[in-house]
Amino acid sequence: MRVAFVGKGGAGKSAIAGTFCRFLARRGEPVLAVDSDPLPGLALSLGLDIDDDVRIPDEAVRERAEGERGPRFRLVEGLDVVESIEKWSVRAPDGVRFLQFGKVKGQAESGQRLWKSQMAFRQITRDLPDEHWHVVGDLPGGTRQPFTGWGSFAKTVLIVTEPGAAGILSARRLARMVELDNVESVFAIVNKASQPGDAELVAERTGLEVLGTVPWDDTFADAERRRRAPIDDAPDSTAVREVESVVDRLASKGLVTKVGASS
Amino acid sequence: MKLAVVGKGGSGKTTTSSVIARTLARSGLPVVALDCDSNPNLGISLGVGDEETERLISMRQALDEGQEEHAPTWDSLITRYGSDGPDGVRLAVVSRIDNPEPG
Repeated sequence: MRVAFVGKGGAGKSAIAGTFCRFLARRGEPVLAVDSDPLPGLALSLGLDIDDDVRIPDEAVRERAEGERGPRFRLVEGLDVVESIEKWSVRAPDGVRFLQFGKVKGQAESGQRLWKSQMAFRQITRDLPDEHWHVVGDLPGGTRQPFTGWGSFAKTVLIVTEPGAAGILSARRLARMVELDNVESVFAIVNKASQPGDAELVAERTGLEVLGTVPWDDTFADAERRRRAPIDDAPDSTAVREVESVVDRLASKGLVTKVGASS
Repeated sequence: MKLAVVGKGGSGKTTTSSVIARTLARSGLPVVALDCDSNPNLGISLGVGDEETERLISMRQALDEGQEEHAPTWDSLITRYGSDGPDGVRLAVVSRIDNPEPG
């Protein structure tokens, strides 16, 4: 399964995506969680230290030779994508592996060094064979990045939205853009729902099937204040339980195909 | 005065900007509210409604599509592509992403 979480900034993509990865891994599935946000938040909701800087080192990346086609930077010869994950991903709880392209730490970081890591990261998410890992991506907020190459690994897109007007408008824009891409299934996940009818409102205004309705839950916000993963900090909260149900619903739709099975 | 509001997604930039813009306008100042987000939602918070927010053509789109022949001034762009909101705030969108671009 190759899933991308998208949505307006602050919709709750990272909190839901991290919890989603942990539940998927508890089903015995190998999960690679990837964060392509230069201001990353996925590490925290997976249960990792948010200050870790996980990136593909410069020496693993080479520049395109003269006359060669494709992106300017790629992994060095003889280094395959499965091996790169073994080497550079970080082990999160429940066996989840975590990979990100590095954090922006100031102006010096926004230059070529991060760019190298980013290009290698894109190569890994794109070329990783399906039989090794489920890939779950947490993409930056808004509509700029998801469909400019960063989300192209995804076959399933989950659009996270609050029930407010701005969230729904963003979700509609994203849903329209997804139609133009190579995505097989698209669902909405309503987050911070607080009124009866919020799920119906999102379904009606976006035209999307709502796969889950995560209620407004103080324990989710409290987990972040304590710098803890929601699944560890509030395992019995209704919000965390609903994310587990989202995994179950995807499975019952046949979208969580067993890794290693022929597809 | 030229004021930029920045911050993490969901932290309340758009809401804060719209309240500042309307408050300044109510005190009698001419205010242009520029939505610089590629996923522009400022119109909703300003109170122009979501249909008008979706209808607004971004100034960058207009320039890219050649609707402007000569290098236009900011004033003329804001006049042509902006929209009047409550309290006389003039809203303009800088750039909107509508289509996926090749990676």
